[in-house]
Amino acid sequence: MRILVVEDNDLVADAIARGLGLAGFAVDRAPSAEVAATALAAEHFDLAVVDIGLPGEDGLTFVRRLRSQGATLPVLILTARETVAMRVEALDLGADDFLMKPFEQSELAARCRALIRRANLNTNGQLNFGRLRIDVAGRQLRIDDKQVELTGREWLVLECLAFSAGRVVSKERLQQTIARWDQAMTPNAVEVYVSRVRAKLADAALIRTVRGLGYRLDEPEA
Amino acid sequence: MSLKLDPTTSIHRRLLILLLPPLALLMVAGGFADYRASMVFMRTAYDQSLTDAAVAQAALLKVVDGKIYAQPPSQPQPHANRAEKFYYSIWGPDHLLISGNPQLAGTSAGEGNLAYADGWLGNHRIRVVTYRVPTTAGVATVNVAETTSRREAARHFILTSTWLMDFILVDATLLLVWVGVRHGLKPLLAVRGQIESRSPRELRPLETAAVPAEVRPLVDALNGLFEVLREAARSQRQFVADAAHQLRTPIAGLVGHLELLTQDPAAAGLESRLAVLRDGMSRVAHSANQLLALARAEPTANLADHFQDTDLVPLVERVIERNVDRSVKASLDLGADLGAASVAGSAWLIEDLLGNLVDNALNYTPAGGHVTVRCGGGSSEPYLEVEDDGLGIPEAERSRVRQRFYRLPGSTGHGCGLGLAIVEEIARLHRAAVTIDAGAGGHGTRIRVQFPAFGGISQGKTANTVTS
Repeated sequence: MRILVVEDNDLVADAIARGLGLAGFAVDRAPSAEVAATALAAEHFDLAVVDIGLPGEDGLTFVRRLRSQGATLPVLILTARETVAMRVEALDLGADDFLMKPFEQSELAARCRALIRRANLNTNGQLNFGRLRIDVAGRQLRIDDKQVELTGREWLVLECLAFSAGRVVSKERLQQTIARWDQAMTPNAVEVYVSRVRAKLADAALIRTVRGLGYRLDEPEA
Repeated sequence: MSLKLDPTTSIHRRLLILLLPPLALLMVAGGFADYRASMVFMRTAYDQSLTDAAVAQAALLKVVDGKIYAQPPSQPQPHANRAEKFYYSIWGPDHLLISGNPQLAGTSAGEGNLAYADGWLGNHRIRVVTYRVPTTAGVATVNVAETTSRREAARHFILTSTWLMDFILVDATLLLVWVGVRHGLKPLLAVRGQIESRSPRELRPLETAAVPAEVRPLVDALNGLFEVLREAARSQRQFVADAAHQLRTPIAGLVGHLELLTQDPAAAGLESRLAVLRDGMSRVAHSANQLLALARAEPTANLADHFQDTDLVPLVERVIERNVDRSVKASLDLGADLGAASVAGSAWLIEDLLGNLVDNALNYTPAGGHVTVRCGGGSSEPYLEVEDDGLGIPEAERSRVRQRFYRLPGSTGHGCGLGLAIVEEIARLHRAAVTIDAGAGGHGTRIRVQFPAFGGISQGKTANTVTS
C-alpha cells in the first residue's frame, strides 16, 4: 500500500512518513501540490494525505483539481486551521476524510487503512478487515481462510457494518437496510441479528455497541 | 418662545406639544373674531329696520301753526311679530312729549341725526333709535324702540353656530396634526423598528433606501460603526486561524515524533522520560486547542448573521463518535439519548461546546462509569445535556468551575481549566443557559445547556431571538 504525503512542513511530513512507514505503508513525500501532481501522474498511489495549508496551490484547490481530472484515489485532508465551512468544503470537494492537527500517529494510520479498505471495496468488491476477508460480490465471508456461513439478513448486517468499518452505523440505518428484506423489522430484531453476526465473528472482529447510537465494527482488542 | 422640553421627550410628543396648544388658541381667537363680525352685521341689519320705522314715523309729523303734531302709526310696524313689542315716543323742541310712550326717553348719545342705544323699558330690554327731525317748528325727536328677543335669538344662534364650527375645526385640526405627525415620523419609526428587531450580535448594515434625509447621517454613522466591528471580527477570526496554523503544525510534528520515538527500539530505557515528554506535549496541544477554541468563541469574533439552522442530532453523533475510542480506552460507557433538537447557531462552536462537556465527563468519571449525552426539546426548548456518574462537582464549586483557568482542587489530567469557560462563552453567544446539577440519584454531574426557542432563520430577515 503506497501513500503520498503532501505536506510542506518538514517536521510534520517526516513524522507522518515515519509513522505510516512503521504501520506498514510505503510512503512518498511531496512538499507542494505541484510536486504531488507530477508524482501522481507518474506512479500509482493508494492514498494521498494532503495538508490544506500548502505553499502555492493550497490543498483544497489541489483536491478539486485532482477530482476534476478524474482521479479516484482516496484523499485524507489534514488541517491546522478550522473555519466553520472548511470541513464541509473539504468533504464536498471530494476529500474522503478530514483530520485536525495535532493528531495521534495511530489515529492517522487507522484512518488511512479504513480509506484504502473502502477504496478496495469499491473497486473489486473485496474488503479485508483484520482476519476477515469479505467478498461482497460473491457474498462470502472468510475468517483466517475458513468460510463462514451467514443468512441473508446476517449478511446485510455485516456488509453494512463493514462498509463503514471503524465508524458508528446507526441502529436506524441497520434497520432500514434489513427492512428491505423483511418489512416487519423492529429495533429489537436488529439487536438479534447483530448478536448473531457477533457470535459468528467470534474473536476475529468486534461489533461494538455505542449506547443510544448504533454499532461499530472494530478490530479485536489486543 | 422657549418651551422647556426634556431632551428625551419623543419627537412625536414634542411635535404635538409644540403644535397643538398654539393651534387650539389660534382657532379659539378666530372663532371669537368670527362671532364679533357676525354680531356687527346682525346688529346693523336689525338697526336698519328700526331706523326705517323711525323714518316712517317722522314722515307722519305735521306742523300746524308752528306746532308739531304726530299721527299714531297707522300701518303695522315693520318686523312686527308676536314676540316683539314696539314702542315710540315723539318729543318737541321744548322737550315736551308730542305722542307715544312717555317712558321712552330718547338717547342723548351722539349729536348725529341717528343714534342707537340699548336700554330698559320697565323690565324689557330694548333697542332704541333716536331720529332728530328738523321741522319748521324746530327739531322734533322721534324715538322708536323694540324689545330684543329676536336679537337675542339671533345672537344665540350666531354664538352657537360659531362655537360649533370652531369646535369642529379645532377637533379636525388636532386630528390632522396627530395623523400628520404620525405619518411624518413613519420613516423614523421604520429605522427604529429595523434596529430594534436585530439581535445584539448582528452587524448587517441598516437598510438606507427608505431613510429620510435628516436621519440618513445617523444611519450612515451606525453602518460605518457596524463595518468597523465586522472588520474587527474578520481580523480576529483571521488571527485565530493563523494562530491555529502556526501553533498546531509544529505541535503536530512534535507529537508525531515523540510517538514514534516511544516505539523506537533505540529509545529503550528512556520510556519514563519519553512518557513525561509526551504528557507535556499533549498538555501543550490541549492548551493550544482550548485557547484557540476560546478565542474562536469570543463575541468579537462572531456575528449573529453567521448563525445557521443547526440540527443537534448529527452534531451529538459526531462528538460521540470522536470520543468512542477514548471511552473504550478509559473503560467508560459513552452513550447517547437523542431527541429532535434544532437551534440557531454556529454548528462549529456548539460542537466545541459539547466536545468540552464530553471531555470533562470522560476525564472526571472513573473506569466503569457511564457518560450519557442527550439532546431534545425540538425547536421550542432545545437543549444539550451531558450526564456522568463520576466524581461530581460539589455545590460550592459549581459557580467557580465556570471561571477561566479554574480547576477543581485535587483534579488531575490534562485540563487547563478552560473547558467550562469555553462552554460558558459559546452558550452566552447563543443566549443559552448553562446549569450544573448532580446527576441521577445525586451522583456525578449533569450539565444542561438550554437554548432559546428556535424560530428558524430566513435569509435577509432577522431571527427573533428570545432573551434569556
